[in-house]
Amino acid sequence: MKKEDTVKLISAEGFEFVIDKEAAMVSQTIHNMLTSPGSFAESQHGEVTFPEISTTILEKICQYFYWHLQFASGKETEFPIEPELTLELMMAANYLHT
Amino acid sequence: MEMTKENESELLRLCIEAACESKETVDKWRLQRRTLDRLPSPLADALLRRLLTRRLLYPSLLEVFKHSAEEIDLRGYTGVDAEWIAYLGAFRHLRYLNIADSHRITSSALWPITGMSTLKELDLSRCSKVNDAAINHVISIENLEKLHISETSVTAKGVKLLASLENLSLLDLGGLPIDDISLTSLQVLKKLQYLDLWGSEISNQGAAVLSMFPKLTYLNLAWTSVTKLPDLSSLECLNMSNCTIESILEDDKAPLAKLILSGATFLNEDEALLYANTTSLSFLDAAHSNLCRFSFLSKMEVIEHLNLSSCMIDDDSVEMVACIGGKLKSLNLGGTKVSSVGLGILAGHVPNLESLTLSQTQVDDTAVLFISMMPSLKVVDLNTTNIKGVLHQGRNDLDMVFSLTALQNLKKLERLNLEHTQVMDTGLCPLESFQELRYLSLKNASLADITFDYLSSIPKLTNLSICDAVLTNSGLHMFKPPETLKVLDLSGCWLISQDAILAFCRVHPQIEVRHEFVTSFPYNQSGLNYSSPSRLPSSPIQATKKKEHMSVSPHFIDQRLKYSRDELLALQFMSLPFATSNDRSTSAFEKRLE
Repeated sequence: MKKEDTVKLISAEGFEFVIDKEAAMVSQTIHNMLTSPGSFAESQHGEVTFPEISTTILEKICQYFYWHLQFASGKETEFPIEPELTLELMMAANYLHT
Repeated sequence: MEMTKENESELLRLCIEAACESKETVDKWRLQRRTLDRLPSPLADALLRRLLTRRLLYPSLLEVFKHSAEEIDLRGYTGVDAEWIAYLGAFRHLRYLNIADSHRITSSALWPITGMSTLKELDLSRCSKVNDAAINHVISIENLEKLHISETSVTAKGVKLLASLENLSLLDLGGLPIDDISLTSLQVLKKLQYLDLWGSEISNQGAAVLSMFPKLTYLNLAWTSVTKLPDLSSLECLNMSNCTIESILEDDKAPLAKLILSGATFLNEDEALLYANTTSLSFLDAAHSNLCRFSFLSKMEVIEHLNLSSCMIDDDSVEMVACIGGKLKSLNLGGTKVSSVGLGILAGHVPNLESLTLSQTQVDDTAVLFISMMPSLKVVDLNTTNIKGVLHQGRNDLDMVFSLTALQNLKKLERLNLEHTQVMDTGLCPLESFQELRYLSLKNASLADITFDYLSSIPKLTNLSICDAVLTNSGLHMFKPPETLKVLDLSGCWLISQDAILAFCRVHPQIEVRHEFVTSFPYNQSGLNYSSPSRLPSSPIQATKKKEHMSVSPHFIDQRLKYSRDELLALQFMSLPFATSNDRSTSAFEKRLE
């Protein structure tokens, strides 16, 4: 995987998730950060830090990005969400516009 | 704006669904108090809405939303009582509260929301136990902008007190016994834009006060004794249905767009409308009024929706409609004396007409030709007309032409109603080339199995009803429904047996079938059962109903005519042994479900 095709998402606790740029772009917020020229430091380093999102939630978010890509290409499977995570995940989804 | 964006979020939707899956899933997150307090209000409101639709909300669960929710709609939610209001009183940011139709809410139950400074809109409609005492609590909510108390037990005395709510822009007092004096006391409400006074005791004297509301845009005076209106310079929508009308809106400033005068009695024929300012009117409903001259229409140059059903309009007056037809989108001439000749006058003058209702008129197949010259039509209702489906162009039968063929010109036609017409099954054959047709309604005792053949290849058909027809079990068995079909209504097709319907449902699980014998629903995802509890005609009432059908339909030529009523009743019970055994198994099934 070439570096320019990936992005690094960093959780509140400092855990790093390296995922495909295509997957990360599922989030409108990340899409805007990575594509708006020059205005975000994120677009240069391919790194985004989320001080508000915990590791557990960010991991779930990354899983969702990939699930969404599959779903968009016609694969119909369920995306399981543990009830304990729903509130935090809602807020993250809201922030990431995904 | 922000909210619509969030509504589009797929993950958010999945989260809300997962959270509201069951009582157990709710228990998993309801104790996460710190997170709940941080929840942005649009998310909290969306979560609450979902809990309500899933019937999972109860008073103490409300409490976890007290720092986040802004809008709560408990309309018609069973069991809403004082305890709910006690929790809601503690909400910090509540802006909108709807507890309409809550019969357990009394005036004293509303005490907890006293002085809630965040509350902008409150709906207490049809809370029958709410009376004048509640108004004392309501007027302490001084920022209130919108208040609905229609059909409560509030009286004129209570309404007078509302004068202190000076921020009110909407006041719905429908069905309350308000008199002229109490309306006069409300004239201090200068911000009022929307006022609903239907069914009140307001007279002309009280109506004169209405000009004291400088911003009034919406006014409902239906079922009152008001006959005259003062100048209302900002009025956009007026409802005076079932009133007696002497003069209205003679002031030329009102930007009136919508006028509802259904069932109204005009004292001076059409004079009231002739002098009213109607140049900006886009919607007029004068159904069932006593209007019989229509020259007033000529002023309505921008009218889009016109309902003159059951008026005294005839072919001569249709010309008036044709003159203002340029922007017309919907036209209802049902129950009038308009005939095919009138439609000939209209054709060519209504390029934008999307919906045309001619039910219960004398129009015949010639009208179909004129209808086909209205290119934008999406909805055509020919229910109970003289349409036969065939046109005789020459003297002998060989020159017969199917009149419905002409409707192929209507490239946008989505809905067609041919119930209670004399269209025979063969007359339906042009329908198969209707590319956009989605809804088709037929009700005729002469439609036989061949009907199915003509209808099975309509490409986008979703809802089909063939009622009171002589369709048989084998016809239904052979029927290849269009792939898009969702609902098939076969009510009154008395030759079809329950077994045949169940068999059809099994083969076509995606189609909801309606019939006296069975109410089936499409397969749900859990695959519980393809047919929900079937109900059998269990009493002679059903049989009498059938008898009524017979006398109603003028073109009845099926076998039932051979039998007297008593014989028919006997026939009805002949199928009972089979029926009862089935009934028993169904009720057992129902019990298991419970």
